[in-house]
Amino acid sequence: MGSEEKQNMAQSGSLTSDALEVDDVLANTEEWSPVETKLVVWSFAIAIIALIVGLIVVPTSVLH
Amino acid sequence: MEIELSIHHDGRNWVATDGDISIAAVTLDKLDRMVENELKSRGRLKSGIQTRVRMSFDIYTIPQWIRQYSQHYFNRVVVFEG
Amino acid sequence: MTTQDRKWYSGMLLQEDWWAVWLGVGFFLLGLLSIAGVDVLGWITYPRKWVFSLPAGATAKKIVTWQHAFYPLGGKYSLTAKGFYKSLGPIGGILLTYVVFTITTSIGAYFMRWDLKKYIAGWSIIFFLTYLTWFVGHHAFFSASVIDLRKSHFPPMFTMSLGGGASFILALIVGLSIGNFFKPLAKFLSTAAKPEWFIKTAIVFLGVKVGYLPIKAAATSQKLGHAVAGLTFDLFVAGAAATIVAYMVFWPGVYLIARKLFKLPRATAAVLGSGISICGVSAAVATGGAVRAKPVVSIMVSSLVVVWAVIELLVLPSFFTHVWPGTADPLVAGSAMGMSVKTDGADAAAGELLDEFMRTKVETETNGQVVWPAGVITTSAVMTKVWIDMFIGLWAFILAMVWVYKIDKRQGERVPFSEVWHRFPKFVIGYFLAWFIYLGIFFGPGHAGAADGMALLKSAKVGAVHVEKGMRKLFFMLTFMSLGIITDFTKLKQAQFGKMVWVYFVSLFFFIIPVAMLVAYLFHHGMVIPTLATAG
Repeated sequence: MGSEEKQNMAQSGSLTSDALEVDDVLANTEEWSPVETKLVVWSFAIAIIALIVGLIVVPTSVLH
Repeated sequence: MEIELSIHHDGRNWVATDGDISIAAVTLDKLDRMVENELKSRGRLKSGIQTRVRMSFDIYTIPQWIRQYSQHYFNRVVVFEG
Repeated sequence: MTTQDRKWYSGMLLQEDWWAVWLGVGFFLLGLLSIAGVDVLGWITYPRKWVFSLPAGATAKKIVTWQHAFYPLGGKYSLTAKGFYKSLGPIGGILLTYVVFTITTSIGAYFMRWDLKKYIAGWSIIFFLTYLTWFVGHHAFFSASVIDLRKSHFPPMFTMSLGGGASFILALIVGLSIGNFFKPLAKFLSTAAKPEWFIKTAIVFLGVKVGYLPIKAAATSQKLGHAVAGLTFDLFVAGAAATIVAYMVFWPGVYLIARKLFKLPRATAAVLGSGISICGVSAAVATGGAVRAKPVVSIMVSSLVVVWAVIELLVLPSFFTHVWPGTADPLVAGSAMGMSVKTDGADAAAGELLDEFMRTKVETETNGQVVWPAGVITTSAVMTKVWIDMFIGLWAFILAMVWVYKIDKRQGERVPFSEVWHRFPKFVIGYFLAWFIYLGIFFGPGHAGAADGMALLKSAKVGAVHVEKGMRKLFFMLTFMSLGIITDFTKLKQAQFGKMVWVYFVSLFFFIIPVAMLVAYLFHHGMVIPTLATAG
């Protein structure tokens, strides 16, 4: 990008949601893959561990 | 060895540039391969030497009203074997 | 000048985030000078509740006549220049406030390469409109509580009892009217309507407030000072735990809803997962980058986030005050607010509104026997948000590794660790710095509120009040106004968003808000705000 163009971009940005091809944001859904299952399960697992540790450690939790 | 490129998206393509080269591709995968070929053809990749190409996102791609919330999209590194 | 984050210090002069630090810390440091007897910030001009004329028998105590509706704070709090600041009067004070903030924010606008003429014109309109709204919103009919009326010896009359919340709501309504019915004006003002910049600056000022709370409480009793200092730490610890738990439930939950129920593509689901979960626009951008989505995905999600965030801001403070948990668990409400309202601006604004509503309600319910210090509930709402702002950088880094190394594997691609720093919200540095320095003053030379430290604490109070009360409230008002200006509700009707609008609606009201309330309850239920009225 040239410097003059950048000055313009500083005001607005070169992309706007009105001026874009947005089809593939909502379409072309991929098949669910096992990696996603892992990601979701691990996230929930971390939440449960953090919940248990938090409830024990945080002095104002309902356990205290 | 390290090469710095700037990367942005023009609405259709990812564009990697450093003033000297400017390469556009629909996917990052294709972009990487085209960058690799371009750098090779210009002799900027030395054989037997690993080259890290660092692509820093040009945040001016993002509209100004959004930039106040978050100022960083991504920086990526692609390693090419010479 | 570069537009990319290549070095750790990139963007220090180019980004709103950093400019919130420079402005916030700059004024905080100037405020600290009051310890040395130099009060340079007493010009900041603040509103009072007012009426056109006092009824017979009333005294101008909590409620004054309209000519005195504004006053430079130094005229009341300064120890060294009270006469000077008083002599400025309301008009002089407002003009000086305008001049100082026009100059300082314009310096930021200049370095951020904004159109300076457009910025100053827009800023001037927003500034004076904000003060006008502040004036109207402080009319006793909107703002005065039964207690205020009694203290000023007013005869019983009906008022809306909204406290300072009336002005915030009014600022939002004025802003939304401009944003939705006067769109050319909204477009003209957009260069200066920067809710996120204003709120990040206000959050640095809030850091002064959090550090100053124990100092203020110590004026009632040393024990109370300790209790308040302990409470702020409890909020800090509970906020961290609640944030991690909530986010790690929110993100996969919304991801599942988006992927399984609404059949959205992976990258869109991931960005929505972060955007709807907690952090709003900043998370949508961070996650979009992390999963290497085309920027359009983040831009579209962001456009939705800001509209939904304002809807939450309109609904949740009243809901939490009057339906559940009410004044029985104000910090559960504050923390739940922080976890459910997207964007720092809307969250801090909602927290501040909740603070006003809850304090007025408890004071009225208990007939003035319980008086909570201002800002504790706001702090609880902002604390969870600050944690999540920091956590999203780490989460985006983890997502980037999962995406780049497992899901969308690309030959030779690496994720640099420096990403964590580039996504780190810099304004929280100012927030913690201000908090810990005032806390250090309280426990150090202030001798934790003991008699021999009180003289120093009294002088520290002067600078702190100008920043945490005057400047913080002004920047909150500016946030409400500019949030309204940039919010266009017709966006929700635009066909291109399609089912994303519905993913957002279902996730927010049937998943995010209930889970946030539950998690906030689990970690904050044991917290009690000490009362200023009955202690000592």
